[in-house]
Amino acid sequence: MEDMVKKKNGKSLADFCRNSSLKIKKLKVDEFEIYGASSTHNELELFNGQIDNLSFAETKGLGIRIFKDKRVGYSYTSILDECNIDKCIDRAFSNSKITFQEEINYLPLESEFKNDKSIIDKKILFSKDFFNFDIKQKIQLTKELEILAKKKDKRVTGINNLIYNDSLDEVMILNSTGFFDSYRATSAFIYLSVISKEKDDTSTGDFFGYNRSPGEFNLEEIAANAVNRSVSILGGKKIKSQVVDIVLDPFVAAQFLGIIASIVTADTVQKGKSLLKDRISDKIFKGDFDIIDDGTLSYGLASKPFDGEGVPKGKTVIFENGILKTYLYNTYTARKDKKFSTGNAVRASYKSTPEVGVSNFYLKPSKTKLEKIIKSVDKGFYVIDIIGLHSGTNPISGQISVGAKGLWINKGSFSKPVKEVTIATDLLSFCKSIDKIGNDLRFMPSGGYIGSPSMLVKDIALSGK
Amino acid sequence: MINTTLTKKILNTLLETGGSFSEVFAQKKEVNNIRLEDGKIENSSSGFELGCGLRLIYKDSTFYAYVDSLQQDIILNAAKILSAAVNETGEIKVLNLSNVCSSYIAPIKKHPSDIIQESKKEILLSVDSFARNYSNYIIQVSSNLSDLEEEIYIANSEGIICHDSNTKVMLSVSVVAQEKKEIRTGYKSLARTSGYEVFDIEKPSVVSGEAARIAVTMLKAVNAPSGSQQVVIGPAFGGVIFHEACGHGLEADAILKDASVFKDKIGKKIANNIVTAIDNPTMPYHWGSYAFDGEGFPSQENILIKEGILQNYIFDYKTAMKMNKKQTGNGRRQSYRDIPIPRMSNTYLAQGKEDPDSILKSVKKGIYAKEFSGGQVDPAIGDFVFGISEGYMIEDGEVTKPIKGATLIGNGPEILNKITAIGNNLDFAPGFCGKGGQAASNEVGQPTILVSEITVGGTEI
Repeated sequence: MEDMVKKKNGKSLADFCRNSSLKIKKLKVDEFEIYGASSTHNELELFNGQIDNLSFAETKGLGIRIFKDKRVGYSYTSILDECNIDKCIDRAFSNSKITFQEEINYLPLESEFKNDKSIIDKKILFSKDFFNFDIKQKIQLTKELEILAKKKDKRVTGINNLIYNDSLDEVMILNSTGFFDSYRATSAFIYLSVISKEKDDTSTGDFFGYNRSPGEFNLEEIAANAVNRSVSILGGKKIKSQVVDIVLDPFVAAQFLGIIASIVTADTVQKGKSLLKDRISDKIFKGDFDIIDDGTLSYGLASKPFDGEGVPKGKTVIFENGILKTYLYNTYTARKDKKFSTGNAVRASYKSTPEVGVSNFYLKPSKTKLEKIIKSVDKGFYVIDIIGLHSGTNPISGQISVGAKGLWINKGSFSKPVKEVTIATDLLSFCKSIDKIGNDLRFMPSGGYIGSPSMLVKDIALSGK
Repeated sequence: MINTTLTKKILNTLLETGGSFSEVFAQKKEVNNIRLEDGKIENSSSGFELGCGLRLIYKDSTFYAYVDSLQQDIILNAAKILSAAVNETGEIKVLNLSNVCSSYIAPIKKHPSDIIQESKKEILLSVDSFARNYSNYIIQVSSNLSDLEEEIYIANSEGIICHDSNTKVMLSVSVVAQEKKEIRTGYKSLARTSGYEVFDIEKPSVVSGEAARIAVTMLKAVNAPSGSQQVVIGPAFGGVIFHEACGHGLEADAILKDASVFKDKIGKKIANNIVTAIDNPTMPYHWGSYAFDGEGFPSQENILIKEGILQNYIFDYKTAMKMNKKQTGNGRRQSYRDIPIPRMSNTYLAQGKEDPDSILKSVKKGIYAKEFSGGQVDPAIGDFVFGISEGYMIEDGEVTKPIKGATLIGNGPEILNKITAIGNNLDFAPGFCGKGGQAASNEVGQPTILVSEITVGGTEI
């Protein structure tokens, strides 16, 4: 791919990084870092079996961090000519003049990026099969998903959204302490949302596939799940407000786990914005649950050889047997706590500075089957989908109140569909109320790549009629 | 940014395989963002972007490509690749191009590029100290100051050329207050399609004072009562409820996909007759305002609902063409990397007649929802949820205890019929709306309104 880019624009990403570093070296800066990213991206949207939108693009950009007098400045550019790279460097330099001066503002030391932690095989990020699909085949595969979904159930009346996209990314970091490395990753994503109707009621349901190559999609399963999530709620009614046990589908549980992910990052803790501040060694969960962040997971879509600052990705056990063991760190926050980075410096793109974030973040599953959990519930609510997670939760105060739909559970089996109700709790009570977890670990992209099995949560306030 | 000769060449290259519409969208953008947290400037970042997006429509399909460059050979190469997606004989050729005008005029006085970083830093430092001095309970203040300047050039095969420029400034403040184990947050933002003169009119300290007031007030909050009740929704950001629960369902792409409850409802009564709703990107300096949309069409006021009757949808070029209607200047795009889609701009419920205090007085028992943290809607069915970030109980017509952890949940079309009173205090609030992976600057607005019945999701059963 580098060759492809080279042919087209004359220079590879590595050329731009090296060229910029030569320019910066002429300035009186203490340290610098160049983060280069390039991407080839395809996106496809189908409607009624026809192409609604098809787009493709190749992009490249540099993000430059400059350290001067223990201050940091940042600037990025997608315009990679001499003049604009100069302008970008210049602006990063001038930005450094107004930021806070702090002793710990320096790049990871050589010993920090060359430590002994297991470095993953870069091959796991990259699928050769990805290149076996040309645009026609991608269109065909997406059409096939629509046909499969429509065949599943005659109540399916239409497609709300059908999107396919993929990208081939290259990320490169070059810094003044001698780090210079890169990796390439492929990914393909497909998303289907179906509309179903019965009598006067309309319902939507969605599902997705996210893999290293479109060849890995299980279209049959994606169609079945989207359809099932839609039709099973048809005819759903609001129910009376009450305190009830709820069972969360793995994807719903993963979204709740995402809130926990946001408060185990060291920056939120250090700034007093985490309910888990000063809680290391405390038992946060009632059950003996393990929650892990593993940037090296072989099938993890968030796996990388190194993080947004060049520090190797590692595996961090955050909760062990329900006890909080550690927070997640990038270099800056680690130095603040006199620790080492856990390799969790995250950059959304070359446009952003390294913040702290999760990679493959998951709750280790149990051996209990979902059926067994459902059977154990006398009266409860099985939550298939939630809405308004971002507006309804405040990770800082811990308040959670979200809209939910799903199936009522009566004496251990599903009875009627339920919709337009809310479930509310607060984050720490939620952790204490998780009673059982299933064996059905599933991951979804949401910030990082977050995975959870089904959960049984006791005594949650449900508001309806 | 691209000369007329090259423009014609690009548009015609796109059309040579039989497409019916071609477009070039070029953009040059410079952004700055400064973040203050923990009492210090944590981050100061700038960015430079330049590129163009090419669009080709053939039958119902849109083909799109973009490049990070304005170089002739690179753009023409992309145009060639794109046109290869269509396989017919070209019939349309662009011969003449003429400039379009917009009546939107809002001169910029203090351009971001003329403001030195030090003065921007001063704004954030004043915001920080004002919030921290508000109360001893305040443990954290985060504030962000960002600005944007961009130049845009659009031309399409209908023969139009549009030159546009935008300047935007946004200040946002988040405050965290703590009393013993209780932690609460407050958020307020000020955002205008203008330069730094915004701070000559509206003081940054007012923004941080308001964020601090909300956080400290909410420390005393009690659990929200659950179930169906009367709800008074406050002015300005309360308009997010209309934006989410109805506005998205009025965007023509949802109608075309049969994914909207408002399909086939034009001319029909969809709301209580006191309800009039408008989308208007022509209000000078408002956050969701623009002279031209992302397709080069001049902005215009669009009355969506008049006295309860649905008047019109929100269109971009393609959806209007498919539905045989006139586009409404709402084809918006995040950047040259994105396909334009129908989006709202400044969307609001129009001024009513009632005194907001008397609306509150009329409620014996209910909730006053003053500020929201946002919301989400499923336009296909109209179901929505909104998180209340500042809310109170109403008891015997008086606003009493603040409530925490409350959400409103309901159905858009049902709520429109349950709006039983509208105040005379129309106000606006800025925000970002996400759709199809693209962020757009939007303003929501409304006066105080009364909803006769809505489900409040709380923890107090």
